[in-house]
Formats: sequence, structure tokens, C-alpha cells
Amino acid sequence: MRDYFIRRFLLIPPTLLGITILVFFIARAMPGGPLEQALMQAQMAQQMGGEMRMGQRTGQGSNITPRQREQLAALYGYDKPWYLAYAQWLGDVVRGDLGKSFRYQKPVWEMIGNCMPVSIYYGLVTLVLTYGVCIPLGIVKAIKHRTWMDSTSSVLVFAGYAVPGYVLGALLLLYFSFDLGWLPRRGFIGEEYEGIGLWQAIGDPAISAPGLLWSLVKHSILPLCCYMVGSFAVLTMLMKNSLMDNLAADYMRTAVGKGMDFRKAVVRHALRNSLIPIATGFGNNISLFLTGSFLIEKIFNINGFGLLGFNSVVDYDYPVVMGVLLLSSVLLLLGNILSDMLVALVDPRIRFT
Amino acid sequence: MRLNPLTVKKLRRFRSIRRGYWSLILLGLFFVMSLCGELFVNNRALMVGYEGRWYFPVLRSGIYTGEDFGLPYKSEARYRELDALFAERGGGDFVIMPLVPYGPLEQDYVAGSYPPYPPSLERGHYLGTDNLARDVFARLFYGFRVAMLFSLAYVVISFAIGIVTGCAMGYFGGLTDLAGQRFMEIWSNIPFLYLVIIMRSLIPAGAGTTERIVTLLLIMCAFSWVGMAYLMRTATYREKAREYVDASRVLGAGTFRILFRHILPNTVSLVVTFVPFTAAAGITALTALDFLGFGLPPPTPSWGELLEQGTQRMDAPWIVTSTFAVMVIVLTLVAFVGEAVREAYDPRKFSTYK
Repeated sequence: MRDYFIRRFLLIPPTLLGITILVFFIARAMPGGPLEQALMQAQMAQQMGGEMRMGQRTGQGSNITPRQREQLAALYGYDKPWYLAYAQWLGDVVRGDLGKSFRYQKPVWEMIGNCMPVSIYYGLVTLVLTYGVCIPLGIVKAIKHRTWMDSTSSVLVFAGYAVPGYVLGALLLLYFSFDLGWLPRRGFIGEEYEGIGLWQAIGDPAISAPGLLWSLVKHSILPLCCYMVGSFAVLTMLMKNSLMDNLAADYMRTAVGKGMDFRKAVVRHALRNSLIPIATGFGNNISLFLTGSFLIEKIFNINGFGLLGFNSVVDYDYPVVMGVLLLSSVLLLLGNILSDMLVALVDPRIRFT
Repeated sequence: MRLNPLTVKKLRRFRSIRRGYWSLILLGLFFVMSLCGELFVNNRALMVGYEGRWYFPVLRSGIYTGEDFGLPYKSEARYRELDALFAERGGGDFVIMPLVPYGPLEQDYVAGSYPPYPPSLERGHYLGTDNLARDVFARLFYGFRVAMLFSLAYVVISFAIGIVTGCAMGYFGGLTDLAGQRFMEIWSNIPFLYLVIIMRSLIPAGAGTTERIVTLLLIMCAFSWVGMAYLMRTATYREKAREYVDASRVLGAGTFRILFRHILPNTVSLVVTFVPFTAAAGITALTALDFLGFGLPPPTPSWGELLEQGTQRMDAPWIVTSTFAVMVIVLTLVAFVGEAVREAYDPRKFSTYK
């Protein structure tokens, strides 16, 4: 078993290497990369400038000198073949440097670090809420199988499963923020609190803690609904089905038959066994945690990890793309291993070889 | 065609799950309706009776000009105006319009005000118009057709790739399997929406709408086959170890015969249970891409594009609300079908305590 997990861990670096090489290559091979964008922008700027200064220069002034072109290519790493550029990037990564954003000229680490608190906050709260609601709901649904309560909540659960979170987000925004004006429209926290660190906020007497908290809660109600809606259905049904499997097991019949209270039998016997599959899914949450869904972040304008990745892809900001990709892949791979470890931990019958 | 008794049993079980069965029928009905959608939602008349002759503009590939109906213009006849005109004039002339008399691309501006226009029964915009004065119902309706066709193609292509790769890996094993597994592990960890956006510039600038849609489809399929490949790999492994494979090899069957005549028919039924979920995933992914502006080329009617417009114009609640409602209905139906298919394949028998 230990050997199995060691092997799994050893497989992480080659997989990461593969992922990053592939994305790096594809990003480089596509026409219209950052270099072309920059060249086009420079050309347009020059044309405009030339036209404004004097009309006759536009014809010749519109071309960028080869020297400028080289400088730009060097800036974006396009002056060498892609594998050399990749090797350079990899060397930097090994030394802990993810490079600088093309667009903002800021270190990628700093940009990722800036959106970490937001992502971690949403990830944690979503996790706690989802498990906190789904497990009891699944239990109730299993015990009340085929009653009206079960069927109505099933329809709701399925509708929730079917609809992507951001689509729900659009509707919620429309009614609760725009129409009724109950909740704020965008952002992670109220403008008056923006840019304040956690410790600063606690130490500063001018900022009222309840006010800050209230602002945070108000801003997070709608996004949390959207984050939860997807995993909600899966988890509830998983809980329900696994509990029902166990309710039908022989040991339950024995327990009830020998005169044990049904409620007690469920809690003591069936429930404990039916939590096994729930535990196995837990490890996969580690990646959801941070990457979240950039569509939800986009619709609510929350500056999280997902939105950072999306914006950098759209802006051809490849150092940021690679940084985000690297980090999220590491989390994903670790999450997969973690969930297998959890399986082995909670269910001693399972052996990995 | 003679069906395998097991298949018959599964079919019967599927039919007995009423929610899934009726969802499938309803979904099929919607799909067929959308395939001949021009009869229901269109700005061309179904039938025009003019001076004793009958015309069927919907069925004709060419157009009838205004002059054909005694109007002073040579462009295509404006049937809604014609309808009003004939009604006013009385006599034997008539126009029968479809239920919703607007096309998905047609812009219907009202002089003196800016779109989006709210829903209005009397104008025939039952769900209002979008930001460019196009009928929301028509766009949703044709968006459904596009999404369904797109996701069906998506399912077929990605399953085909997945089945072939998975079967090969499971059957040949060894180095093929190892290499394939490593590749798939890498490939499945790449966030595919990002790559679709990075690869958007693959589509040539001058390409036509169909060409763009097909390119998008192929890019999406290039990333979606991995799950099916894993599944088929395991299934093939399991089947390969059975005696009937050895028996047919002893009888002299070649690799291809064993793969296509023996192993595939025994594993492929597994695929059916994944069709609804993959179709839903295709619709969702396409909508997300459209929402972000990297999906189908405009002016193709699409749900994602409507959602995007709706979030821009929160003062026009009918856009988001109706798109949301349609998406919930369609995707929930698909989910019901998926659940029923799965249950038909793998029935769970529960005893309940009273």
C-alpha cells in the first residue's frame, strides 16, 4: 500500500511536466500570440501618433523597425525556439520564480497570492455548507424514500444538478440585486472595505467588525448559492443511495429484528457505513477549493483564482496562464491521491496495489 | 432486427421508469419540432392565398417578392405587413403565419424607441426581444436546435475517439496501454475551456459560419474523449480475459474480428448510459463558451449569447429569465433521462422499513 502511494507521488512530476509542455507548446504554436498583439498595438499607436503629428509621415511611420521588433520578441520570450523558452521557464519555476505578467509587469506569484484569500474563503465556506446540508438531506431522503418529500426534493435536486452555477447566478443577480436591491451586485466585499488586510481590519478601531462581516456576508450569499448548486445534487444523491444500500443490508434487518430502535440502528450502524463513499469524494474538493468556477467569479466579478486564469488566457498573458495552470494541476493531482488515501483509510477492505 | 433478451429487459425497465421515459418522449418531441422549426417559428408565411392562388413561402427555397402579391417592392415580401393588409382589405386573400411570426436573425425595430423591447402579446414577441430587437422566443427555439445538433455531434465524435482508443489500450495492453494512460492523465488534467480559448485563433478570419462551428466542435471533442476511453479500456480488459475470446482465437479469428465482432458488441452497451450525461455536458460547455464570447460565431442563435446579453441588460429581465427557464427545462429533462437509463442498466433494489 505504501509503495503504491509512493509510486503515485513519484508520478506527479512527470505528469506536471507533460501538462505544462503541452500547454506551453500549444500556446506558442497558435497564431496571434502576445507578440503579434503587442506589434499590432504598437503599430496602431504609431499610426495614430503619426497622423496627429503630420499627415505625410503616416506611410512610412506605420512600420516598426526590426530592432523594436526584436526587443518585443525578447520581452515575450519569442526570440528563441519554444523548447528553449520552455526550458528557461522551467528553470525559473524550479527556483521558485513563476515569472512576470506580460500585461501588468507584476510577478505572477504576487498576482496569484492576491486572489488566494478570496478563493480560499469561498472554497472553505462552500465545502462546509455543502457537506453540512447534503448529508442530513441525503439521510432524510433515504429514510423517507418514495414519499412526497423525497420526490419533490428530487426534482429540485435534479434541476440544481442540471443548471450550471453561473446561469443560476445570472438569474439571482437579476432578481435579488437588480430588482429587489437586497444584495450587492458585484465584488467580494463593499468598496469601503476594499484593500484592507485581515489583520489590519482587526487592529483598526475605525473599522467596525460587524460592519465588515455583514458586508462580506451580503456579498457572498449569491455566489455561495451558485458554488453549492452543482456539487449539492451529486453529494445528496450519493448520500441517499449509499444509505439506502446499507438500510437494505442484512445487519440492519438483524438489528431491527432483535428489537433495536430503528432510529438508533440507522445512526449506529447504517449511517457509519454509508459515509464511506462520501469520504472518498472529499479529496477531490481540494482543487475545487481554489480553482472554483471562473464563470461564477466572472458573473459576480469576484477576483478569485479562476477569474485570474480566465482573464490571463483572454489577454494572452501566458506567464500568468502557466502559473495558474501549474498550481491548479498540482492541486488536482494531489487531490486525486488524497481521495484514494481517504478511501483506504476509511475502508480497510480496499487494497491498492 | 432481433434484440438481445437482455436489451429487451433493459428497455422494458427503462419504460417502467415513468419520469425518465416521459422526459425522453418530451425531449424527442421538442427536438423533432425544432428540426422542422420553420413551420412554428418563422417570419415567412406558412401559406398565402392571393387572387385565388395558393402560395407556400415556407416550403420554397427561393423567395416571393412583394410584387408577387401586388406590393410595390422587389425584395422579399413582408408577410406580417401583408397579413395586416389583407385583413384590412377583406375579400378572399389571406395569410397564415406561423405561431411565432419572427425569424431568429430578423431585427424588428420599433420607431422611436430602443431595444430590448418587453414581451408583448399583440406584437407577437411572446418573450420580448433582445438587445438587437431580435425575438427572444425565436432565438431560444433555434438555439435549442443548434445546441442539440451540436451536442449530438459532440457525443458521437468524442465517443468514437474514446471507444477506439480505449479498446486499443485494453486489448493490446503493454506499452500501448502504458503510453496511453500517461497521455490521458496529462490530457485530462488540462483545463479544456482555457485551451479552447487559446486555440480560438486557429479558426481563420474569413471562415464561414459552418466552418467555424465545425472547428469549435472538433476542438471540443479533442478534449472530451478521455473519460470514455478510460471506461472502454477497463471494459475491454475485462472482456479480453473471458474464455470466449480465447475460444475464438483458437478457432482462428484475427485481431480485428475479435475486436469488432466479439468484444465491441459486449462492451458497447455500457456506452449508452453515458450518452445523456455527455450530451448535457456538451450543451453546458457550448453555452459557457458562448456566454464568454468564444463559442458559436454571431449571429448564430445561442443560449449563451442570450445570457450574456441579459447580464449586460439587467433592466430587461425577460431575457435572462426565459433563457434560464428554457435551460432548466431542457437540462433537467436530459438529467431525468440519464438517471432512468442508468437505473435500467443497473437496477437498485431496496427494502424499506416501515
